[in-house]
Amino acid sequence: MTKAAGASGCGEESRAQASEFEKTKAGPTKDSDYYVKGVLDNDRLILSKTITLMESTRPEDHDLALEVMDRILPYTGKAIRLGITGVPGGGKSTLIETLGMMLVEKGFRVAVIAVDPSSKISGGSIMGDKTRMQFLSAQENAYVRPAATGQTLGGVARKTRESMLVCEAAGYDVVIIETVGVGQLETTVASMVDFFLVLMIPGAGDELQGIKRGILELADAVVINKADGDNLVHAQMAQKEYQTALHLVNPRTPTWLPPVLTCSALEKTGIEEIWNTVLEHRKKLSATGELEARRREQALEWTWFLVDEGLREWFYKHPKTKGLLPEIKKRIESGTITPTRAASELLEQIINKRS
Amino acid sequence: MLKHPRGKEWEERAKKELKDKPLESIIWETPEGIRINPLYTAEDLESLDYVNTLPGLPPYVRGPMATMYTNRPWTIRQYAGFSTARESNEFYRKCLAEGQKGLSVAFDLPTHRGYDSDHPRVAGDVGKAGVAVDSVEDMKILFDQIPLDKMSVSMTMNGAVLPILGGYIVAAEEQGVSHDLLSGTIQNDILKEYLTRNTYIYPPQPSMRIVSDIMAYCSKEMPRFNTISISGYHMMEAGADTVLQTAFTLADGLEYVRAGLRAGMKVDDFAPRFSFFFGVGMSFFMNIAMLRAARMLWHRLMSNFNPKNPRSTMLRTHCQTSGWSLTAQDPYNNIIRTTIECLSAVLGGTQSLHTNSFDEAIGLPTDFSARIARNTQLVVQEESDICRAIDPLGGSYYLEVMTQKIVDEAQKVIDEIEEMGGMAKAIESGMPKMRIEEAATRRQARIDQGLETIVGVNRYVADDNIEFEIREVPESVRNEQIARLEELRKKRDNKAVEKALADLTRAAETGGNLMEATLPAVRARATLGEISNALEVVFGRFVATTLCISGVYASEYRDTTIIESLRKRTAQFEEREGRRPRILLTKMGQDGHDRGVKVVATAYADLGFDVDISPMFQTPEEAARMAIENDVHMVGVSSLAAGHKVLIPELIKELKRFGGEEILVIAGGVIPPKDYQFLYDAGVVGIFGPGTPIIESANKVLNILESKGRSKQS
Ligand code: B12
Ligand SMILES: Nc1nc2c(ncn2[C@@H]2O[C@H](COP(=O)(O)OP(=O)(O)OP(=O)(O)O)[C@@H](O)[C@H]2O)c(=O)[nH]1
Ligand SMILES: [Mg+2]
Repeated sequence: MTKAAGASGCGEESRAQASEFEKTKAGPTKDSDYYVKGVLDNDRLILSKTITLMESTRPEDHDLALEVMDRILPYTGKAIRLGITGVPGGGKSTLIETLGMMLVEKGFRVAVIAVDPSSKISGGSIMGDKTRMQFLSAQENAYVRPAATGQTLGGVARKTRESMLVCEAAGYDVVIIETVGVGQLETTVASMVDFFLVLMIPGAGDELQGIKRGILELADAVVINKADGDNLVHAQMAQKEYQTALHLVNPRTPTWLPPVLTCSALEKTGIEEIWNTVLEHRKKLSATGELEARRREQALEWTWFLVDEGLREWFYKHPKTKGLLPEIKKRIESGTITPTRAASELLEQIINKRS
Repeated sequence: MLKHPRGKEWEERAKKELKDKPLESIIWETPEGIRINPLYTAEDLESLDYVNTLPGLPPYVRGPMATMYTNRPWTIRQYAGFSTARESNEFYRKCLAEGQKGLSVAFDLPTHRGYDSDHPRVAGDVGKAGVAVDSVEDMKILFDQIPLDKMSVSMTMNGAVLPILGGYIVAAEEQGVSHDLLSGTIQNDILKEYLTRNTYIYPPQPSMRIVSDIMAYCSKEMPRFNTISISGYHMMEAGADTVLQTAFTLADGLEYVRAGLRAGMKVDDFAPRFSFFFGVGMSFFMNIAMLRAARMLWHRLMSNFNPKNPRSTMLRTHCQTSGWSLTAQDPYNNIIRTTIECLSAVLGGTQSLHTNSFDEAIGLPTDFSARIARNTQLVVQEESDICRAIDPLGGSYYLEVMTQKIVDEAQKVIDEIEEMGGMAKAIESGMPKMRIEEAATRRQARIDQGLETIVGVNRYVADDNIEFEIREVPESVRNEQIARLEELRKKRDNKAVEKALADLTRAAETGGNLMEATLPAVRARATLGEISNALEVVFGRFVATTLCISGVYASEYRDTTIIESLRKRTAQFEEREGRRPRILLTKMGQDGHDRGVKVVATAYADLGFDVDISPMFQTPEEAARMAIENDVHMVGVSSLAAGHKVLIPELIKELKRFGGEEILVIAGGVIPPKDYQFLYDAGVVGIFGPGTPIIESANKVLNILESKGRSKQS
């Protein structure tokens, strides 16, 4: 174990050597063939490992991930992409369990990516969504993958999108993404799915449960869950409130005015209606060509997002800026430099000296 | 600070003795958040109007009976059961011959969860953590030569309460004992199952119907039988402090009262047959105060229902010493702990008591350890003269103040629950379970740091290993039960069974007393699994929601350097491997002990692990599939109910079958050291038993993962 261990943390060149070394000495290597074939065969194990590869933050894995992505891309795009967001504990996972089971029974193959927040302090996470998808998780025609957000928005956005594509390539007809509606992540998720469902619960009041109004602008439907038992009346009241609220936001397209539905994920009522809404949306937007357009637009948005992320990463890791950051931070905090000046000093480090 | 006329003088002297420490340094805050002064005086009692009340009279603080132990001591009632009905029966008869006074049956987990011994989901659980009962035939053997008209029998059964109580009634019938002569207690407390004990079968609503149907049936047919044992013990063992235990238990009690009223009964029809069950831990005075406070508070709460019968407001209770306080390390220390807790329960005025065996954290009691546990009570009862005066600590300045404080604090929590619409609603919201788990996590962090001493675990560690016998239930028990089931199904009139089961299903659908509807099926020799299933087709099976807390362990763990160093390692792991160490924590089989797994999960996340948590009651195959799909580095199995030798090798096999041989498997929980080699041979790479500080197991887990990373490269 000399070279491989010694190589880690060194420059580009030795890293390349190290992976060369691993290829020859470390048993059967997993090259892009392994992943691509496994995904296309819908091999549960390899599908899972491919998602892990997409999630990897290790620079060494990026090229391979890119290559795999390139090769499976032709097999993607056919699934119905559904994003579900909402307040913590609103019943997103339970809804996915119920909706997912219904879809499996209709003959669909369903993949779920359930994103849980990582702690900002420890970096760790507890992923418990799947405990609420017990029946769905046991289905042969379902795949449920919990994921932690990690520390950066860019990171989670990229891995969520790529995981979704991997599932599509593995032949899943419906891919559902669950995220907690308290950050910027939802906006990003909204821009990778065909249908964006915002899940609410009754008893909200008008501050809309801490969910930013901005999210409503992105919603293709608002669903009030837990419309059961004593809550039924409240749910119907909430339905009216949200209908009013939605009137005040501009719809994304005149073709589709986002409806407000009620359901009980627990008692399995209103679920069929949700699915019909998704299908109707699909039908209408396909007819006008907007669905295609939306996906094209998303591809563009996605490209710029990646460029932004790449630039940002490059900037912060650049040898010329990285060393300066702590110093600049101190100066800003002590008030000896203005933020504007600080930013331009940092940027000049790279921009001027290069051109 | 002191109201005493010479308080100032005392303070001065105290300050001198304390040298440079301030007087505040000897004020203690209990885990409940109650402030304990170093000294109480007669002045502190002035505002307490209940202090000079009498036993047997409201508000019953000093005891529910007028004469208490001076007339008849508490009942020594040891909870036991294992393997087959025949073996348990022999054990019971031996215990009774040696001085035990009442019976208390512990059923195995398949029975609790409504499965027959041949059900595929219970392969590792039959006879392991209690006695296996599949039909009334087993019940008859269980009570063989035990006259049910004389012996009071307590049965801990909640989920499968209908077939089990039915089995007991029919076994008595066939002994020639009529219903009205039966005395004893059925636990029948379903609410705390959702909270901590985890042997529910159906969802809360139909389960509550079963509870009130049993109350209705027994109040008519079995007037000497306690129809419910409202239990706080399990909450304490899951982590609740004395205030939470008192509040949640009494709030559960209120919910049952309302269920009875809703079912059309009058409060005096059923409330006099309510009994309680409290857990008594190591904090000596707090626990005495808790029992007294619970009696006072129950009287207050019940008075609101305007009962005519004073017994409706009288809290009678069984107690059990705390198993959680007992250690796998230096286990003879446990005899001392149990003695202290025994005294606490008795000075608190319990009506009956179970004392734990010193091998508690290793396995089910052996004949020897059970004898010592029983003798602990016999010695206290017969040699110490403690029984000579009633409520001997009554009037103690300190104890009386504590009693009032627990009453006040518990009342606040009860008010909060009532505000939410009662305990059933509160449980649905997850509030009580989260409170208990939070308390458990804080406790763990304090012990891991040595802020709370546990002799032999975090201080005064002994380096010799004491050898003693351990009870092991052989795998053959399952086969024996399966053979008996086959025989039963051959011999009985299957047509009659089908009809009785169909009638039961109909009763579940349309109404009618379910206890009454169960008896014909029991008499016809329907099995416990069949009866449970006849109801499940209507009611469904309850699936628990797993909620997790976060940040509590790290915040209670004051030594930030240790936390930071582990966080650094998980972060470095990510740099090296492209993601954080990812571990699936799972519970397999019918083992419902989730305190450990929850504490480990939340602490590991606080240390920077990505933690996947599985639902309860997984089969090895389900756990393996989850490990594969989530693509974890490691599966951590928490096993406390003796299923480890079957379930863990099976898990490893399933992982291989799915192609996941790279996934490492570790185990924790109650695993006797003599089984370690067996598990290592099966492929387990680390075992962490009771008392392992979480910091230590996390450290070792990282070592294992890192060394694997290295061996992959070289
Ligand atoms: C608390 C407790 C209960 C509580 C459980 C509350 C809950 N929600 O968890 C209650 C009162 C409800 C209960 C009930 C029963 N219990 Co119980 N219970 C215990 C007790 C006293 C303590 C367990 C505990 O929580 N300890 C504290 C936690 C933090 O420790 P831990 O789980 O061991 O975890 C630590 C380590 O083991 C390790 N660890 C554990 N898992 C993992 C996983 C990983 C990956 C890692 C790294 C580390 C790790 O790290 C943790 C921190 O140190 C034990 C005896 C004992 N002292 O151990 C009996 C014990 C486990 N119970 C037992 C029995 C029989 C039962 C019942 C089945 C009795 C019955 N027949 O009705 C019932 C039913 C329970 C059920 N549904 O399964 C037996 C099991 C017998 C056996 N194994 O042979 C025991 C051993 C007592 C005994 N000797 O009789 N019980
Ligand atoms: N009454 C009722 N309760 C529900 C319903 N759906 C979910 N719940 C309950 O709400 C709680 C939270 O449900 P989850 O599905 O975990 O909610 P979530 O939005 O995925 O939660 P997070 O992922 O933790 O943010 C659980 O106790 C569910 O049983 C419903 O339709 N009615
Ligand atoms: Mg969820």
